[in-house]
Amino acid sequence: MARVARAAVGRGPDLKLFGIAVRMHKSQMGISAREKPTMPDSSMELLKGTLDILILKTLSAGALHGYGISRYLREATDDTFQVQEGALYPALRRLEARGLLESRWDSTDTGRDAKFYTLTKDGEAELERGIQSWKSYVAAMAQVLGGARA
Amino acid sequence: MKTPGPGSRRGRIFGPGVGEDVDRELRTHLEMRTRELVEQGWDPGEAAREAARLFGDAEEVARACRTITERQIRAERRMGMWDAIRQDVRYGLRTLLKAPEFALIGMLTLGLGIGANTAVFSVVDNVLLAPLPYEASDDIVWMRERNTRGGTMAVAWANFVDWREQAGGFQALAAYGSRATTVLGAEQPLVGRVTWTTADLWSVFRARPERGRLTVADDHQPGAEPVGVVSGRFWRNELSSTPLADLFLEVNGVRVRIVGVAADGFDFPSGTDVWVPVDETDQPTSRTSHNWDVVGRLGPGSSLPAAAAEMNALTLRLVEGSDDDPDFLATGVVMRTLHEQIVGDSRRALLLLLGAAGLVLLVACTNLASTLLARGATRSRELAVRASLGAPRGRIARQLLTESTLLALAGTAVGLGVAALVLHALKALGPESIPRLGEVAIDGSVVAFAVGIALLTVLVFGLLPARRLSRPDAGAALREGGRGVAADRRAGVWRVLVVGEVSLALVLLVGSGLVVRSFQNLLQEEVGFDAADVTTLALSLSPAKYPSSAEHADWYRRFVEEVRGIPGVSAAGFVSSVPFQGYFPNARLELDGDLEKHAVGGYVLADAGAFEALDIPLVAGRLFDERDGPDGAHVAVVSESFAEAYWPGENPIGKSVTGGGMDEFWQDGRFAQVVGVVGDVRFRALARESEPTVYFPYAQRPSRTQFSAYVVVEAATGDVGALAPALRTTLQRLDPDVPPRITPLEETLRASVAPQRFTMLLLGGFAVLALVLAAAGIYGVVSYQVAQRTREMGIRLALGGRRSTVRRMVVGQSLGVVGLGLMIGVLAVLAGGRVMSAFLHGVAPTDPFSLAAAVVVLGVAAALAAWIPAARGTRVDPMITMRAE
Repeated sequence: MARVARAAVGRGPDLKLFGIAVRMHKSQMGISAREKPTMPDSSMELLKGTLDILILKTLSAGALHGYGISRYLREATDDTFQVQEGALYPALRRLEARGLLESRWDSTDTGRDAKFYTLTKDGEAELERGIQSWKSYVAAMAQVLGGARA
Repeated sequence: MKTPGPGSRRGRIFGPGVGEDVDRELRTHLEMRTRELVEQGWDPGEAAREAARLFGDAEEVARACRTITERQIRAERRMGMWDAIRQDVRYGLRTLLKAPEFALIGMLTLGLGIGANTAVFSVVDNVLLAPLPYEASDDIVWMRERNTRGGTMAVAWANFVDWREQAGGFQALAAYGSRATTVLGAEQPLVGRVTWTTADLWSVFRARPERGRLTVADDHQPGAEPVGVVSGRFWRNELSSTPLADLFLEVNGVRVRIVGVAADGFDFPSGTDVWVPVDETDQPTSRTSHNWDVVGRLGPGSSLPAAAAEMNALTLRLVEGSDDDPDFLATGVVMRTLHEQIVGDSRRALLLLLGAAGLVLLVACTNLASTLLARGATRSRELAVRASLGAPRGRIARQLLTESTLLALAGTAVGLGVAALVLHALKALGPESIPRLGEVAIDGSVVAFAVGIALLTVLVFGLLPARRLSRPDAGAALREGGRGVAADRRAGVWRVLVVGEVSLALVLLVGSGLVVRSFQNLLQEEVGFDAADVTTLALSLSPAKYPSSAEHADWYRRFVEEVRGIPGVSAAGFVSSVPFQGYFPNARLELDGDLEKHAVGGYVLADAGAFEALDIPLVAGRLFDERDGPDGAHVAVVSESFAEAYWPGENPIGKSVTGGGMDEFWQDGRFAQVVGVVGDVRFRALARESEPTVYFPYAQRPSRTQFSAYVVVEAATGDVGALAPALRTTLQRLDPDVPPRITPLEETLRASVAPQRFTMLLLGGFAVLALVLAAAGIYGVVSYQVAQRTREMGIRLALGGRRSTVRRMVVGQSLGVVGLGLMIGVLAVLAGGRVMSAFLHGVAPTDPFSLAAAVVVLGVAAALAAWIPAARGTRVDPMITMRAE
């Protein structure tokens, strides 16, 4: 099951989240919570429905457990989003119920049990759709906001 | 997989498993998060608290997760179930189609059993169980007076009036009486059923008019304009829905203004066309003039037994001190619910039919069971293979059950079709004596009943083989190829099934044989007249046109003369009662010139032509002739039994007799001299002994001609139907307002035994059905046994056994079982035959002829059913049969 574990936290190369390159800051992992507030001023509410797409995107790189997804999202977004970590789990189960994810218990590299989620075919298709609609959303927003500035 | 967690997506178990799965997942997260924080330098305790804070409300999250997953599992399970069912159904259909013979037999067997039961149950439901179509119909009671012999008699008007005034237990009490009489003013003169009633009839039934109004108390007052209410059916069919304003009918000689049309559902007494008010002031005061029937609606808080007790006491009080003849005074009342009064007579016959249909269903189910069992056995190898390949036992059982259910559904469909056909036949054959038969339809509850029967059959008999086949010793079946111990056990069950089937079928066959025999007996009864070539005209003259009975008599004399002149008529005459057509009055008569010397006899008016037309033989003396006119000496003719009863050993000719209260001459003490003796005639029914009867010439005593008059005509050619047009023309010529009602006497006879014929045909049909089913069952079982023993037979044949010997062995074994079934059936008939005795006429319920015939018929059918498959099975080449499997 090493193959599954390989995709675990903080290992991946740079990811492109919704076409925006996200730099993986290994250094940031060392920053203690005391030095860096968990909810920085720059944090913002996660837009409705975007958590699902973030999860699907995260899992497109390979199987991952809930904690891993959570940690990856934290790091990849520089803790931009103000999300309670627990909110991830109902979302995972909803995606699973919709047949976009599959789950099973397995061992992590460190030998403990965790529930691993993988993307199904339907999940991949859904992710593709999500990215498309996000892009057009962003483009539309940018056009309006950019035009307003001009 | 290192960890057998609860999580593999399919195998997850609902309930605690989900909660555990969620808790474990969330705990894992918190632990990992805590460790991350500790690695960052947090104090372990602090780290755990921080991880929890970052996580948010864990309880809430866990609950949300559980809900989502449980919902998903439920949905999956539903999907999974449907998938499995779809798969089972597809598989079931395929296997059924692979064995079309089995599927067809099973479907037809169930269909016939269910069909017969559904049809009969529809009738029972509608006729016996369904309430009458009136508001709170349970509270409506019917009553009559009780006579000295404990039977019923019509109610005297004087008693009714006192009941109405003094009885407390009723909301309303109404008297009514109806008869067929001439109604003029419709499109053609016709004989309608007219009911004379008190105004309370409407309140008893809570009836409402469809249009106009119903009659009220004022209409019954002397001097009120005569009014009437017509039935919706009569208004539409005979009056072409003429508007009510100025709608008049002449009813029994009275011009009646029609003020209302009764609502369609109201039909009481059954068949009434016109309701007219009773003239309450013009009624006899005697408590022995029994003319009325009474219906009442029980008051709130009253019950039938309480009301009956009250009425009994009241009636006894009323007749006490009456100076009327005590023999004809009431001794109480007979009260029953109207429902009971209407359906009571047909109950016994319908329940018998229901019982017979039940037996048919039992035979059908037994048959189905043995077929399913045989089929299960043939398939045991296939199923054993499936079981050994890992198909779960429950799955195999479910598969078998699915097949049975498919069969049951198909059977139900066939059954409903059969039911519709049978019901159609029932309605066509059903005698008028079964009330409300025309309204019977297959309704929802009956369909539910049919499906219930089918499912029950399937559950019981579909599970039997399922249990057997899904036992864990499938390996044994695989090794033995379906023979051996299991096969022996199966053979035991079969023997029981065949024995049951045969004995049930025998009971039905004997029952129907008895009914057929008794029907034959009935038709061979000596009735005392010859109905062949005779047609009857029921006549009713308008009292307005012919006010006196002398005018009636004169008209009939002229009409009979005209009829005698019609070419092709060999005899014609007047008679006041015709066999099996309702009205046959009897009376207390006086004898031998002594008003204190009494006799009881039927009272019939006739002329010589009537005796000739009906071929009633003259035994002694003479018939009436032209001497016996109104001015001649009064004469009478008596029946043989009358003479024997009252003048035993004497010559009745020259004796004298009165007409009792039936005519007015008794009051003058005027006796008629007996001039002739004729043969006995059964007037009431085929099965009822003739009663001593006195005949008087209608020319001398015409008063009853106003109530009941027939002209009987015998055709010389033998074709009574050919006379009808000429009879109608003659009637038209003499009085166009007299409606022609012409009925061949043989038709009357047939109609009089319609209930018995109905029972006979249905019971016979059911018996044939049972016979066919039993034969099919035996055929199926023997076919299977032959198939199972092909190898054994092959060996026997190869070793030089003769085909006929082998065949005899198979047939012989089957017939042994059949014989046991026959014996049990015979014992059952001997033990329970008494149930039938009420339906039999001149045959004992244990009639040896019927028993023997049934045994022979069933035995031969069983032998054939066993021999055919046995012969087919032994015809094959021994080498082929040995290589089988």
